[in-house]
Amino acid sequence: MLIRISRIAALFLALAWAGCTNDPYPDADKGRKVLYTSFSEVPKTLDPAVSYTTSEHVITGNVYDTLLEYHYLERPYKLIAGLAEAVPEPEALPDGGQRYRFRIRPGVRFHDDICFGARSPGQRSREVTAQDFAFQFARLADPAINSPVASSFVQVKGFQAFAKRLADLRKADPAFVKQAAHVQYAKAGGIEGVVAASDRDLEIVLTEANAQILYWFAMPFTTPIAWEAVAYYDGREGRPNFADHVVGTGPFRLAVYDKQLRYVLAKNPTWYGLRDEAASAPGVAFPSNIDPADVAAKRIDPAYAGRRMPFLDRVNFARERENIPRFNKFLQGYYDDGGIIKESFDAIVQGDRLSPDMAKRGMRLDREVEPSIFYIGFNMNDPVLGSKGGERSRKLRQAMSLVVDTETFLQLFLNGRGVPAQSPLPPGLFGYDANYRNPFRQPDQAKAKRLLAEAGYANGIDPATQAPLKLTFDMGNTSAQSLLESEFLVGAWRGLGLNVEIAATTYNQFQDKVRRGAYQIFRWGWNADFPDPENFLFLLECSNAQANSNGPNTANFCNDGFDQRYRAMKDMPNNETRLRLVKEMLAITEAERPWIELFHVEDFTLSHAWLINSKPMGLSYPAFKYKDVDPGMRERLIAQWNEPVRWPLALLVIGVIALAVPAVRTYYRERT
Amino acid sequence: MAAYLVRRISYGAVTVLGVLFLLFVLFFAVTNPDDIARKAVGERARPEVYVQWKKNHGYDKPLFLNREYAASNAKRYTDTLLFEHYRSMLTFDFGRSDADDTPIADRLLKGAGPSLSLTVPLFILDVVVAVAVGLFVAFFRETLIDRTVLVLCIFTMSVATLLYIIAGQYLIGMLLKWFPISGYSGDSSVIWRFLALPVIVGVISGFGSDVRLYRTIFIEEMGRDYVRTARAKGAGDARVMVAHVLRNALIPIITNVVIAIPFLFTGSLLLESFFGIPGLGAMTVEAIQGNDFATLRTMVYLGALLFILGQILTDVSYAIADPRVRLS
Amino acid sequence: MILVQNLLVLTIVAGIAWVAYAASRDRYWRESAREMWRRRPVALVVVAIYLVIGLLDSVAWVGGTVAEDPTAAYLPRSVIDRIFKPEALKEASYSAPLADKAFYGSDALKHPGKHWLGTDILGRDVLYRTFKGVRVALLVGGLTSLVAIPLALLFGVSAGYFGKRVDDAVFFTMTVLSSVPSLLLLIALIMVLGKGAVQVCIALGVTGWVHFCRISRGEALKLREMDYVASARVLGVSDGKIIVRHILPNMAHLVIITFALSFTGMVLTETTLSYLGIGLDGSWGQMIDQARNELSRTPIIWWNIAAAATALFALVLAVNLIADGLRDVIDPRTRRERT
Repeated sequence: MLIRISRIAALFLALAWAGCTNDPYPDADKGRKVLYTSFSEVPKTLDPAVSYTTSEHVITGNVYDTLLEYHYLERPYKLIAGLAEAVPEPEALPDGGQRYRFRIRPGVRFHDDICFGARSPGQRSREVTAQDFAFQFARLADPAINSPVASSFVQVKGFQAFAKRLADLRKADPAFVKQAAHVQYAKAGGIEGVVAASDRDLEIVLTEANAQILYWFAMPFTTPIAWEAVAYYDGREGRPNFADHVVGTGPFRLAVYDKQLRYVLAKNPTWYGLRDEAASAPGVAFPSNIDPADVAAKRIDPAYAGRRMPFLDRVNFARERENIPRFNKFLQGYYDDGGIIKESFDAIVQGDRLSPDMAKRGMRLDREVEPSIFYIGFNMNDPVLGSKGGERSRKLRQAMSLVVDTETFLQLFLNGRGVPAQSPLPPGLFGYDANYRNPFRQPDQAKAKRLLAEAGYANGIDPATQAPLKLTFDMGNTSAQSLLESEFLVGAWRGLGLNVEIAATTYNQFQDKVRRGAYQIFRWGWNADFPDPENFLFLLECSNAQANSNGPNTANFCNDGFDQRYRAMKDMPNNETRLRLVKEMLAITEAERPWIELFHVEDFTLSHAWLINSKPMGLSYPAFKYKDVDPGMRERLIAQWNEPVRWPLALLVIGVIALAVPAVRTYYRERT
Repeated sequence: MAAYLVRRISYGAVTVLGVLFLLFVLFFAVTNPDDIARKAVGERARPEVYVQWKKNHGYDKPLFLNREYAASNAKRYTDTLLFEHYRSMLTFDFGRSDADDTPIADRLLKGAGPSLSLTVPLFILDVVVAVAVGLFVAFFRETLIDRTVLVLCIFTMSVATLLYIIAGQYLIGMLLKWFPISGYSGDSSVIWRFLALPVIVGVISGFGSDVRLYRTIFIEEMGRDYVRTARAKGAGDARVMVAHVLRNALIPIITNVVIAIPFLFTGSLLLESFFGIPGLGAMTVEAIQGNDFATLRTMVYLGALLFILGQILTDVSYAIADPRVRLS
Repeated sequence: MILVQNLLVLTIVAGIAWVAYAASRDRYWRESAREMWRRRPVALVVVAIYLVIGLLDSVAWVGGTVAEDPTAAYLPRSVIDRIFKPEALKEASYSAPLADKAFYGSDALKHPGKHWLGTDILGRDVLYRTFKGVRVALLVGGLTSLVAIPLALLFGVSAGYFGKRVDDAVFFTMTVLSSVPSLLLLIALIMVLGKGAVQVCIALGVTGWVHFCRISRGEALKLREMDYVASARVLGVSDGKIIVRHILPNMAHLVIITFALSFTGMVLTETTLSYLGIGLDGSWGQMIDQARNELSRTPIIWWNIAAAATALFALVLAVNLIADGLRDVIDPRTRRERT
């Protein structure tokens, strides 16, 4: 019996000894130009009219081309021509409006897809025309599509009128709704200000001058869409929805889309950039004006200057729900890039640069402040905290703002990866002043106590109840981590004598409170759509208030002076007047304190030595066409880093045998 | 026999109806569909989209009786949440997820494979190991080995599954680098690398209670007369244990095992979500976190349905084996 | 409110004391207790310690001043709060057990060497947090069982004893509830009821109730057929009296063993709920969930998760061992074998 056990154990040991590996990829992929990366949040929709989150733009930004693009290397961000032959100049119109003319590049084709063969058998693709852009604009306006950015296009002439005509037609005739989208749009008459002058000429007419509109042409929202694709992918008879199937023009196709688990982008052989006549297009060749600093940091390989893109065969996205396994797999070499988890931050980064261990592995560290803001908001409709309380409430808010120590918060929870916010505007935006210090955002306990006393709550005591003033910090997130963070914030207010309670509820309960207006203090964040102060200040504008219109102004901040200036600066080009208006608006938020601005996130990205040409783009979408990998180096280093530790296996076997011995002995003793 | 079968199945059917009513009370009568809609379409959605979403997902109907249509068409009395709930569940027409609009049936089909690839090896290994160890300690009952293993069992039973997972990932995945820390692949050449760790963790966490159970069964069996007879006839110990005790204990073991089989399909909540296996358990956790009530209630319903089926199967096989059961 | 809370605690303590007193007058229970003490002294002591801590943390009142946190003086604080003074014991962030300086950087601690189990990310004393978890665990395991078991007994016994319609109704409810996988039902209940201590306890009670109801029904069915019950019925003793005099006392061992097992089951289930974000605030499950990522820190921070995991493990192990011992001591079947 003992012999048999040890024989089985030996067999098991031999098997395990040879087979143990933590390599998650099939061996067949070794040596290929595949970039491995991960995602955590599942995309809701890939419909470019709707998709709005970073997790979705990672796909849509690479499979859908846009008329304009951001320059990959230059900062501040600069627009270059994409599908358009040039970045258009605005033409002033006599009625005060503006016109932009785009000339579309020739030979741009949609991905090969069976949807084109549905009407004309055998056809696998077709050339993009100006009509396809107009079709997408109609989709943006379509109320049934519910594009989150529809309001950004209201200055396009006839945009809202078209939406209204469409809605009326649908209401009047139930049969109308059953027709294909492009038929409906044609019957509703199209958008007046989106003109397909010829197959290759697109004109956009605005009712008033808007200097920011061009940014929207560098986002997948305005990509050309084939009506055939929308008509074919309707989710019926086993066909996927258009939201889950991509028919674009971009340098990559969506080859696998198992969205809970993984997706694969594969090089698109019919991309316009691979055709000879497109050789001079700016979005087709790697830029030649490479910043020496990028070369010195080994971010960009100068040998790529002028080379035709894309370089990768495939981009492999694997789902990682948890951060720590993801990061460990990155360290093992199985992902080519990734953010740093806070738990390992001190081992990876020392004094703003990579630790010697990591640097020895050839890793690179890239940092960039994201155009984002995290803040605590007050519900300004609340009788105690809000605007109805007048001076008393304002001083209370100011006092509360004075004790929130963002510096410590960042150190504790984000390893200091963030810039303490002084105003709603993040660095790099027009109107941001690096030297500005918000007087209410410099921690000052004494001043806070004074203000609190002036507000009538000396030492936090509410004169009405003779007990500490009771407030509620509402959160719609029950995770253990966010609870810790809230406890830190609440601790600061408790130090003032205010009895702030955390109400951590499920999302449903929180939403219910928001709907009823029954919330006092909340925490929220915002990530910019495009680099303009308007994109932050609109969060505090009255017509966007939650209570008025279910809008994103959850603080319900309504201030006439602020709103007047907002309307004036909204569409203005960046000049002195605009700067003055922005400063005045920031002065209002400084004194009124609808928000306690916390921080702007600083993104730290690690990449392995074999990942070439990766430069962080906080704003635009990861442009995989610029990136490349060195699979040989990857294979070598991975083998070196992942030698399994085998001796505990032997120990295990010895343990089993050690258990078996007394058993056998007992057995023989009992028998004899 | 036929009469018993009919009786047993119809009782099962009534139980299913009862479960559906429980789900109805929980998910429709108590839950406010407005909250589900709000999460699904996003806070910034326009009211018409929100109303449309509720309509598309069938949350706009009245709860019990539809009086509005009574005048025009009597049949529409049943156009309500209650009847729609029963209809969709009983016809397995689960509709679309509240969170991302994918058909739930598609996700069930997709998730069943990964779930089974985890739970089946886990289940088989668990039963084999627990039966083997159970047999082993039963043989050595009332000795030091028996007591040590029993205390060990109580120890392993007292540790939360969460801790086993954390420790397993840390020790085996990170320090020893034997297997990937987490993940999954449909590729058959690498799939076992991903499954090894969760299976090991799963076996260890379920080990204690199972060994105790099987030990009790074996000891009961060993006290019977036929064992003494076999011994008297001069059969060897190994032969008595395997050929007689194990064989006769198979019936209670199988009953225990059969009951657990339906749950293989619903996967394991914790293991799947920690190890990144895209099965039905992970799907349930995601539904919980994403406020996806449609998926959650489908999972609860399927779990209950499978359980009821398993019970019917067990009872029927009992009845075949033991005619007395049929009469009671 | 404060009075009510303390009153509740006192009622429970008085109830337990009365049961203990009543049991001590019965020879059988007295002997069983002695036998248990002989077999599982350590486990009993451990559980007693937990009970004392939980009790000390349950008695709370307003009063006294706290210099570091002015609000605390207005809120009820328990004996444990008053012993530890958590407001004063705070550090800036992590510190190792018994350390005299912070874990990151080398700032001196405000209370060097005073943190036996170190401090967590917010600088809170881990020993204090672990002690606070005791009450939550007892609440989850004990209070829930204390509510669920009498209910289950009521329904189970009446179903088993009276049979017919009552039995049909109870049995059907039981079948329906036990058909739904219990963890899923639990989650669904909490999702629907909302997060919170009361809700979690209700959900745990609803799901935990069924198992015991089934057992007590089966037992009552069996006891009903016993000769002494039949003769009592012939003598015209009322049903209520029969149940109280003859049926319930004969199920006492079942109640106690089931209580112990459901206790550990509920405490362990709570950790899963905490991972899903719907557990109780301040529980060990929550501590483990908050601290599980700290194992990946370099250098590793282990005291947080170790403290919570050990406290949880010790309690569950002790109760499991007691349940195991009880099965030998008071279960009539195994007792018969012993003697």
